[in-house]
Amino acid sequence: MLPGSCDGVDRRNFLRVGSIAGLSLAEAMRFEHLCAAESKRNDINCIFLFVLGGMPQQDMWDLKPDAPAEIRGDFRPIDTAVPGIQVSDVLPKISRVTDKFSILRSMTHGDSDHGRGFHIMMTGRKAGAGDFNTGPKNNNQHPSVGSMVARLGETGALPPYISVPNYLNSGGPSFLGPSYGPFVIEADPAAPEFAVRDIALPVGVTGDRSQRRRAALREINRFERRVEEVSRQERAFDVFYKKAYNLMTSAAAKRAFDISRESDKVRDEYGMTSAGQCCLLARRLVEAGCRFVSIENGHWDTHRKNTYSLRELLCPSFDQAVPALLNDLEQRGLLEKTLVVVTTEFGRTPRINELKGRDHWPNAFSILMAGAGLKVGQTVGATDKQAGFVTDRPITPADMAATILRTLGIDHTKIMHTPLGRPVRLVDGGNPVTELFA
Amino acid sequence: MLRWAASTRAAVLTVMLSMVLITSVTDAGEPAEKPPVNRRVVRSLSVLPTTIQLGGANRIQQLLVTARDPSGQAFDVTHRCDVTVANTDLALMRGATVVGLADGRTELIIRCDAATIRVPVIVEQYETFPPVHFANDVIPILSKLGCNSGGCHGKQGGKNGFHLSVFGFDPKSDYAALVKEGRGRRTFAADPDSSLLLLKGTGRRPHGGGRRLVADSTDYELLHNWMQQGMPWGQQNVPTLTAIRVDPTDRVMLPNAKQQILATAIYSDGSQRDVTHAAAYSSNATTVAEVDESGRVATGRLPGEAAITVNYMGQVAAALVLVPRPNAPNPYPNMPANNRIDTLVSAKLQKMGIVPSALTDDATFLRRIYLDTIGTLPTAKEVRKFLTDNNPEKRKRVVDQLLDRDEFADYWALRWADVLLVNRETLGERGALEFHRWLRKQMADDRPYDQWVRELVTASGSSGRYGPVNFYRALPKAEDAAKAVSQAFLGIRLDCAQCHHHPFDQWGQRDFYGMVGFFNGMQRKSLGKDRELVFHSGYRETKLPLSGEVVPTRPPQGEQPQNLNSGDPRVQLANWMTSRDNPWFARLAANRLWAHFLGRGLIDPVDDLRSTSPPTNEPLLAFLTQKVIATEYDLKQVMRLILNSRVYQLSSEPNATNFDDEQNYSHYTVKRLPAEVLLDAVCQVTDVPETYPGMPRGTRAIALWDNRLPSYFLDTFGRSERQSPCECGKSNEPTMAQALHLMNAPEIEAKIVNPRGRIAALIDSNMPRKQLIEALCLSALGRPPGEKERKIAARLFAGETSEQQAAEDFLWALLNSYDFLFIH
Repeated sequence: MLPGSCDGVDRRNFLRVGSIAGLSLAEAMRFEHLCAAESKRNDINCIFLFVLGGMPQQDMWDLKPDAPAEIRGDFRPIDTAVPGIQVSDVLPKISRVTDKFSILRSMTHGDSDHGRGFHIMMTGRKAGAGDFNTGPKNNNQHPSVGSMVARLGETGALPPYISVPNYLNSGGPSFLGPSYGPFVIEADPAAPEFAVRDIALPVGVTGDRSQRRRAALREINRFERRVEEVSRQERAFDVFYKKAYNLMTSAAAKRAFDISRESDKVRDEYGMTSAGQCCLLARRLVEAGCRFVSIENGHWDTHRKNTYSLRELLCPSFDQAVPALLNDLEQRGLLEKTLVVVTTEFGRTPRINELKGRDHWPNAFSILMAGAGLKVGQTVGATDKQAGFVTDRPITPADMAATILRTLGIDHTKIMHTPLGRPVRLVDGGNPVTELFA
Repeated sequence: MLRWAASTRAAVLTVMLSMVLITSVTDAGEPAEKPPVNRRVVRSLSVLPTTIQLGGANRIQQLLVTARDPSGQAFDVTHRCDVTVANTDLALMRGATVVGLADGRTELIIRCDAATIRVPVIVEQYETFPPVHFANDVIPILSKLGCNSGGCHGKQGGKNGFHLSVFGFDPKSDYAALVKEGRGRRTFAADPDSSLLLLKGTGRRPHGGGRRLVADSTDYELLHNWMQQGMPWGQQNVPTLTAIRVDPTDRVMLPNAKQQILATAIYSDGSQRDVTHAAAYSSNATTVAEVDESGRVATGRLPGEAAITVNYMGQVAAALVLVPRPNAPNPYPNMPANNRIDTLVSAKLQKMGIVPSALTDDATFLRRIYLDTIGTLPTAKEVRKFLTDNNPEKRKRVVDQLLDRDEFADYWALRWADVLLVNRETLGERGALEFHRWLRKQMADDRPYDQWVRELVTASGSSGRYGPVNFYRALPKAEDAAKAVSQAFLGIRLDCAQCHHHPFDQWGQRDFYGMVGFFNGMQRKSLGKDRELVFHSGYRETKLPLSGEVVPTRPPQGEQPQNLNSGDPRVQLANWMTSRDNPWFARLAANRLWAHFLGRGLIDPVDDLRSTSPPTNEPLLAFLTQKVIATEYDLKQVMRLILNSRVYQLSSEPNATNFDDEQNYSHYTVKRLPAEVLLDAVCQVTDVPETYPGMPRGTRAIALWDNRLPSYFLDTFGRSERQSPCECGKSNEPTMAQALHLMNAPEIEAKIVNPRGRIAALIDSNMPRKQLIEALCLSALGRPPGEKERKIAARLFAGETSEQQAAEDFLWALLNSYDFLFIH
């Protein structure tokens, strides 16, 4: 009955314990908070770059130069900053920073459908049969890792979970509730007129006027009753109004969204592309205390003209943005406190199809993890001669989710309850990838 | 096991541990507790069971001793009274449990204060340990100890190589897992004590799940004996469990009091057995009452109600515990009653010691009933007219007017469209449009609820021409249809029972697949883009997926209908659903209506009518259910009754006795305006309509058929995703994005400053400032400005450069105020 540690305890258990022991609700909640403060003290944030469409493992991270032409494709391996680790010649800039990340070459799951692939890679859980919905924000079955962090991590003036530029598929909160969904930027920071929705004052409203308005609103919304006699609904809303006030009035928080404050030199370093500026904005956001920034980088679904698409359209901006991010974080002393994950819904078929493309392949693919004091400059796992199947150390999406949560100081085995009362483990059947923890 | 670093935490824990220890000592059944300071006086005693029969060596019997105080109030003295056995050779007391020792007859003498009562005891077949039946005897122990729970060996794939079916739904495979797998080390007839089952269960061998079983306990003894008997599956044709009974079923308790629960299993041959120690217990409100594994309920400090769920082998029952507020006013103030609803709510409130709030004022009432009934704000003109109307019947008249407004059909079609999955994404444009059009027509025509549901459930035809068939297009598999129909119209959640027995309800796989049978054979034929012919191709057998066994097609708790083979079997289902004595259909409709207007269902969640989630006011729910049936399913008439009740018209301002009451309707529950209603309200107040692509100008959000029209506002404020047939798809949860949007969105600012909008018109009319402020308050808040609003306005008008800007600022503040965003 008693909790084994703070991590394993949810509110429900606390109330149970609390009332047995004769503690009042307030006392139990204070105790809960005490526990929360201790176990969650962790200032590591996460930048979660999602390569949308399926990132080809054999053309980027796990080359097979000895395989037949229709399998090895047009890219050649090149040496990198770490002796013994090779990546594709389409990633020349990344090849100079392989000492800053680990390549996980043995990711594997069984879903070759985009929608289901998003779900498993965003949440760590396989999309179950039945009511799985293929709509755009379709994780009606399990919360995304970002929402778990928003729910269980410590938060500051910024929203704890921000999505840039779009709402990522399966990036939603599921049964944790909308309060833990992402704050979505809904604008591309590479666009010249980039602005974050609803953060800045509307045109025509000066700072003075806004202050007068807010003073009026504070007055009008002041509760005239004892706070416990105010309805629960209004109190809950009040919490979010206060958070919104904080964001609007905290110069530092608001500045974080203002990418134009970066010098041209820095912006060019990342590249004036969506990938580059999203990474730069993500750095500004974690620097200001956001816990989890997810970035959508599309559209990599190269069913046709795979080589052309990678070489000309997709890899150049990616190859510039990722090293720029890692270098910038490092120079600012933030890399130790920032977990960077480069992931995707699945890899691509070993064999090139008749349209010179590669199709969906969930059996083996590669992702990257960097920063946060993880062990880097290594590869983990291996695949067969065609980069088609895992031959060593399979890593599942649940393992990936467990690794992220552990790095951010959240117990990945914690059990949450759905509105139906069903107990659900945050991450089921996954373990942190031990090779990453020195 | 405990890793507590911080000293403060350790201190708190020590307190908690010691409290738990005290509890567990008394649980172990020490003769009597320390008398509480205010010991209640015992006037008389009664005991359950009235005769104690112990048949076999492993049978025991929990006692339930109830006393009455001089005022006639019942309270539990099971663990306080003094029990002696007349002939100590035949039986003994272990705590408050009778254990046999030898065959014969004797009696118990139970004394409490001056009262005494005697109970006969019969011990039979003591020498024989009855043959153990795996499914009837062993599985319940595995369930109770949590071995087969979803987090342990019941998990898909098991735990550490040992897999049990979750909650024991598949005894045959569990038997194989225990007896045949694991190289036969899990059970061991020759030496049960060295079987892994007992070694690991008791923690004598390292066990990931820790120590679950106490050596020499009743459970241990049974498992031991089962192995000694050679791990039998059990005799064929043994009586099967049909129900469990719980005593007491409801009890009014004091704060910090205890109550023993008695759980009795009833078998198909009519025999009964005490399963108090084998059942599993849980409380739905742990702040009000806790329950431990021996079935002892302990109330806390807070008043309120708790349902204690008792589960034994998939059979469930509930006991209701009620803790009234202490120091209730005496005499209790009488609430005037407009109709029977008020009488029934009043009776419950009096029982709880809660005084209802006052009647709300006219302006608040008008705004509330407009928003709740037609999803629309009253205009300034409507507010003025109502406030100056002196007719004492004016509230009643508004109820009648609103139920006849066009917006009524819009708003209720929207509500139903959310539940019935009218989703353009799954149905296509044509399908969603036709389905919505059909729903709206049912509302506009006041078609009786049973009739339109019957038409929907039995619908066949072309999706592009006939709206209701689209319901089945969102539910492509028979399993989906079975779940959706059960939940949307019966309040039965069968989802759990698809894979395992529902953990808090009576439903098992046979109920689930029994229901699936009505939809098995549903077919769809493409008629071109986004159009399909939907029809039922005739009854066919339904099989359990694991065993392939054929399951009879039947409604939950019902019989297999006769005419399944003639025509569409859904007709048989619809007959059963809409028959007047269906226990769920009208009850769910009544609960939905009540929840919509009063903010919380009498049963909550609103669409989960399971027996273990009892209503907070059964007489009221029974009355409303009866009304649904008596009015021939004319839901408007039931709404009229609710809206005319004083309970609906109570103020949302609480008093000292009811501010923490959320279950008994002592004051109106404040609600945020739903997404669509809020957007319409912003448009109406600013007098700038929203334009939706492809919709006629002036279309209101509550009238939209397309739930996927791009709208940041509607997404942010939580319009229903229409992905699941429950009311949980729609969310009123607050988020930071909502607050930011209301304060800063250029779209909303554009409405406030629009040159053709309300502010511009008011400024142009050159009306005095006082009138302008009043007009804005009437539009947004549905009431004239109070002193607070006047003061705020005065400051804004003094500080701003132009009259227009000051008016805009004032309206901005109103639109962000809780008085605007919430229904009070």
